[in-house]
Amino acid sequence: MISFIGRSVIQKIITLFFVSIVSFLIIHIAPGKPSQVDPMNPKFTPEVVERFQKEFHLDKPLHVQYLYFYRDLFTGETVSWKDNQSVLKKIWERFLNSLPLFIVGTIITWTLSFPIGIRSAIFRGQFYDRSATFLSYLLISIPGFFFAYVLIIFVVNQFHVPVIGMETFGIGDGASLPHIFMDRIWHLLLPSLLGATGGIAVLSRYVRSQMLEVEGQDYIRTARAKGLPPEQVHYKHALRNALLPFVTMFGLILPGLIGGSVIIESIFSWPGMGRMAYEAILARDYPVILTVNFVSAVLVLAGTFISDLLYLIVDPRIRL
Amino acid sequence: MNIEENGFTEDFQLETPLAPKQTRLQEFWLLFRQNRLAILGLFIFIIFFCCAVAGLFMTSGPDPLFDPAMIRLQEKLRPPLAKPNLDSLRHEEIPYLGFYLMGTDDLGRDVFARMLQGAWVSLTVGFVAVGISVLIGIFMGGIAGYFGQHHVRVHHILMMLVLISGAVLVTANFIRSGAVLLCLIPAYLFYSLRIQNRSGEKTSSLWAKFLYINAVSIDTLIMRLVDIMLCFPSFFLILTVVALLPASIYNIMIVIGLTSWMGTTRFVRAEFLSLREQDFVAAVKTLGAGNFRIIFRHMMPNAIAPVLVSATIGIATAILTEAGLSFLGFGVPPPHATWGNILSDGKNFIFDAPWLTFIPGIAILIVVLSFNLFGEGLRDVLNPKLRERH
Amino acid sequence: MQRSHFEIATMTIRRFLIFAPILLIIVLLQSYFWVPTYDEQTKGNPERLNEYITGSIGDASLLNPILTADSASSSIENMVFEGLIDRDEQLRFRGRLATSWEVFEEAYFYVNPSADIPRLGRADPETLVDFIKKAKQKNQTKNRELKDSLGFITDIFVLPPKTSWVTKPFKDPTTGKQKNINIRIRAPARIKLILNRVDPDFFQNLSLLLGKNYFESFNGKTYLMSDSEMEKVKLESYAGELLPAIEHNPVLLFHLRPGVRFHDGHLFDAYDVKFTYESIMNPKNLSPRIADYEPVKSVTVINPLTVKIVYKRLYSPAMGTWGMGILPEHLLNHNALKEEAHRLGKDSNTFSMRQSRFNRHPVGCGPFRFQEWKSDQYIILNRFDGYWEGPPNYNKYVFRVIPDRLTQEMEFYAGTIDGYDVQPHQVKRLEKDQRFQSFSGTAFGYTYIGYNIRRKPFDDPRVRRALGMAIDVDKIIDYVLYGQGERITGPFVKQTDYYNHNIEPVPYDPQGALTLLAAAGWKPDKQGWLTKDGNKFQFTLITNNGNDLRKAILAIAQDAWKQIGMDVHTDLLEWSVFIQERVNKADFDALILGWQMGIDPDLYQIWHSSQTNPYQLNFVSFKNKEADDLIIKIRQEYNHNRQVRYCHRLHEIIAKEQPYTFLYVGKWTAVLDKRIVIKTIDDAGNIRYEKIKPTKTGNYSFYFNKWIKLPEAPGFMLEG
Repeated sequence: MISFIGRSVIQKIITLFFVSIVSFLIIHIAPGKPSQVDPMNPKFTPEVVERFQKEFHLDKPLHVQYLYFYRDLFTGETVSWKDNQSVLKKIWERFLNSLPLFIVGTIITWTLSFPIGIRSAIFRGQFYDRSATFLSYLLISIPGFFFAYVLIIFVVNQFHVPVIGMETFGIGDGASLPHIFMDRIWHLLLPSLLGATGGIAVLSRYVRSQMLEVEGQDYIRTARAKGLPPEQVHYKHALRNALLPFVTMFGLILPGLIGGSVIIESIFSWPGMGRMAYEAILARDYPVILTVNFVSAVLVLAGTFISDLLYLIVDPRIRL
Repeated sequence: MNIEENGFTEDFQLETPLAPKQTRLQEFWLLFRQNRLAILGLFIFIIFFCCAVAGLFMTSGPDPLFDPAMIRLQEKLRPPLAKPNLDSLRHEEIPYLGFYLMGTDDLGRDVFARMLQGAWVSLTVGFVAVGISVLIGIFMGGIAGYFGQHHVRVHHILMMLVLISGAVLVTANFIRSGAVLLCLIPAYLFYSLRIQNRSGEKTSSLWAKFLYINAVSIDTLIMRLVDIMLCFPSFFLILTVVALLPASIYNIMIVIGLTSWMGTTRFVRAEFLSLREQDFVAAVKTLGAGNFRIIFRHMMPNAIAPVLVSATIGIATAILTEAGLSFLGFGVPPPHATWGNILSDGKNFIFDAPWLTFIPGIAILIVVLSFNLFGEGLRDVLNPKLRERH
Repeated sequence: MQRSHFEIATMTIRRFLIFAPILLIIVLLQSYFWVPTYDEQTKGNPERLNEYITGSIGDASLLNPILTADSASSSIENMVFEGLIDRDEQLRFRGRLATSWEVFEEAYFYVNPSADIPRLGRADPETLVDFIKKAKQKNQTKNRELKDSLGFITDIFVLPPKTSWVTKPFKDPTTGKQKNINIRIRAPARIKLILNRVDPDFFQNLSLLLGKNYFESFNGKTYLMSDSEMEKVKLESYAGELLPAIEHNPVLLFHLRPGVRFHDGHLFDAYDVKFTYESIMNPKNLSPRIADYEPVKSVTVINPLTVKIVYKRLYSPAMGTWGMGILPEHLLNHNALKEEAHRLGKDSNTFSMRQSRFNRHPVGCGPFRFQEWKSDQYIILNRFDGYWEGPPNYNKYVFRVIPDRLTQEMEFYAGTIDGYDVQPHQVKRLEKDQRFQSFSGTAFGYTYIGYNIRRKPFDDPRVRRALGMAIDVDKIIDYVLYGQGERITGPFVKQTDYYNHNIEPVPYDPQGALTLLAAAGWKPDKQGWLTKDGNKFQFTLITNNGNDLRKAILAIAQDAWKQIGMDVHTDLLEWSVFIQERVNKADFDALILGWQMGIDPDLYQIWHSSQTNPYQLNFVSFKNKEADDLIIKIRQEYNHNRQVRYCHRLHEIIAKEQPYTFLYVGKWTAVLDKRIVIKTIDDAGNIRYEKIKPTKTGNYSFYFNKWIKLPEAPGFMLEG
């Protein structure tokens, strides 16, 4: 067990190292320079541009820039080129904004997918299964922004309530606490629902196929042959075993913490991580892009690590 | 699909008189037919494909039937089925059908013509992107699964480093030093050939031994590469690269392809690992078949099923990804119309001209849905574990 | 027992699987009942009338006027900070923090002992001064211009000869090493003249009095000595810089408004002005505005309410640069920054204004004071009651970031934002709506198609003109801009005098274009493609993505040129790739771009032939001798009428050469709720409401501080 942990930690660190190099190269070799070094503004003289280059270490060779950047990152001193704010602070702020979206989205995904998936498996091939299949694929087949616009226009025209932003603008002045809380929930509803559609479709299909696979096993057949009521066979014997792989998925949702969809966040004016990263890409704000990338890589690796561990714990057949 | 089926039917007919009467294709079709949604998907897919091909012919060439680039500013934002205002149009500007089947957009271009052209472009984006990802995936997965235990030696790594740094130097405009490094490669090939020729002799120098240490197995190497790629959030990575590279339809296809091969690699590797242990492979091996024959003739057809499923769904995803990129302004640039950029251009006029949003939006929805349903049907049929009925 | 236990467990699981999602959905949906509807937010909230909320696509970057150049940031900075001057309704300068100002000149020249002065001969400095003074008093010279120039002189001084040392970096030609050399300057006596206005022709006219060659024959080199082996040639190159024969030093003297306070109560004075200038010039701050202030020689505080700014050379755009917001010195000076660095535990040597907390919590002396900034959400400004001109009517100015145009529009409809960057097609729709009033006025920027004159066939003005003639610009304005644009024929701001209204725009005439092209050697081949010497007329038109209008023009131009037989490819590129890879490296055939113009007619960077190198703004490589002269003259001319004359001529040349196809100057457009009006209180205390009207120059928000929103649309709306 310990040797497994040690080995996999070392492995992940090596992977991280390569990720850091690759992302650094992608950003720096690609054409285009930071917008501060953008001479399309007549006010920018070559001297100013040069001074910016120097300030950002852009005049140094790549490997030196690499070292500078990761030194700053690990000492927590990276600052955004756009506004000289600490990148970690910015990311933390955005993370807190994206977090509720992520949590509600995940809860919606998981609570809806399981009942749908299980029932689909039980009624395999019947009307329920088919319509569930159809609906879940329908949901992931709509271009996200099209769906979002249609929803927003519908809700705003029908109910005359605001849907964009993290809260109704200006509600902070004078409203009671439950009002503010519920208002936030309302504003979470549409974007998290849109974010969850893909997850619901994929996860419910996965639950269905897991259930089907388990139901094909001999011990289920045995249980059935014993004359147990089908309900019990489904929900007790089959479900429990079908659930196993999903425990490990808890680790895999970790990277979603920092993901955040640019499109949904832009449409819903949500000041989240995705938008910050997107704007950083447009402005070539290298420190922000690279830090977001690094943090998300850490989360992905941590996620797989946790899911491996969970697998180890829940599945008694695996002993390392 | 064809490669797979032909390969197998022949094998079975030659060797096994007891083979089932149905060929696999027939059996497959029987199963598939029961899944009505999948049939619907396939049906729509075929229609879409025909439209796309027809669209290609009707909208290209010097004098196309439907000119998607024809601008008639005075005819802007006409609703679907509107008759053109004949007085203000020159002869060649009159739409072929005599009316605007799907209306006109904000520059007075015929939306129907643009949709036709877009069908082909969207389809190409989907197919080429997925084609790239499947090819890379099969290649990587195949190598990892089949040659996985082989080891990369230190000298391989050194040579790769030289190659990569040479390439980087050349791209970074230090052409001379880069070229010198690149020239080392043929020298190295020559050297390694010579070494191989006299492989009987023992090389005893410490240095040479160091070069021949088994550093890492190919399987580990490839799987770590997959891990590295998976560390990048995929849409974000695509966006970064597309935003940073000059926009062109090729870049978008390549980037989508290059960032989505990891899943296929894993499938193929897993399949190969299990197939390699099976009797029929061992049998073929003892018959003295070469590696490539084993891989392509015997193992690949058996491993292709999950790849096909993920490719079908991958095409759907690629079309959606392109639409998403269009929304952010990084989609396929004009003059190519895609459904994604018709949709994202149209969204500005959603109150003035809702058809500009709804026609492409619903078209994408239907096509993507059909791909998904078809893929789902394939999965059901091809997965023997799910196939059994109780 | 066992069995029932199982059953219960099974039932629980089943129930859970059914009820959990239902419960979740109910919890989420019921939140609807807690949300204030749009009506409650607007009509139900009286405070809302005292707020002005504007929607913006992007967030501000920093709120420090000397560090930013983006439009979102400056829209906030204009509310928080105040400059010395701004422009009034007629685009004339108007005093803000400065009550009045004087523009005059200090002119210098070195006494040239070797030159013969007509009717005087060689003269020592004192005699020379007397000679000039006499000439001024006698007033007998026939030449009117000389008489004028002499009339401007208010004072003359003699500066005695002095000796000084300077150190200059010098690259040794033999070793290639960089080293410093010392140069001794034994400057001769110098005459300083104070003129009561800036006179660019002063020395030219004075030479009528002192002899044609008096200034030219002054040889600065003879007064320079270097301590080392430096060659004479090198020394000569420094002579012009170290000992210029003549020197114009225009001076701006600002009298500042007494009793103006910053938002924190600190009094504003001349030291703040000086500090703002020094901060811009401080290399540590990396100010993007450094180029505007580079010609400044010195900023001197005469007394706390008077500041004198001396320029190194004639630089007529100087006045406009003092609209820049003034920073509070007491919050940002060296000690304050040091203290802040200390508090944050940072190295005080590297800590600069860029890192200061001030940039996110600005303090100025503008009409609104900063309250709160949530990144990518909103910026809230409060009314500053101590504003020198009287506080604005609105209590709050709110800047909301809504990155999506469609949701922005929906919020506007609902009344939760009062203004946004409205698109032409939306204006068209909103114009008809009874609830809104709409404004439009000519903007300061124009859109053009630029041709790379370095490349064939764009080196031929006939071809460029023909390309312009093939495009129906009026149709673009009518249909793409919905009439929210005007034709433009040259590079000046259309509503200023500098713009030459006599020039006809290039007509839409495809046949004429073909004739012109035929004259240039381009004839249609059998398939209708234009060819010359077997080459097809083929090029690529590029622009940046993210701008729908440019994208539309791209498609229209491609189609229009195809009609006359040109094979045009198009490309849309991401902004920074577009600029850095294509524009800066001049790697393009033709491009669509826009210039945002200042009111000042300085065109040096965009049109002067010295600015055609990579990374410079004359990327189309426009070169014209006469234009070059005019551009320099315009830069140095302080007399408005003469400047206008030069501009009209320059406009003519550019229109003739057609390096750009000037398409249109857009109109900025605004739609406001009709309930927003101008509220003034006259001396008797009567409240008057007026309809918001754009000023003559098209600026509708000129009286923003007087705006207020009423509960009902006032009656005069119905009358008028």
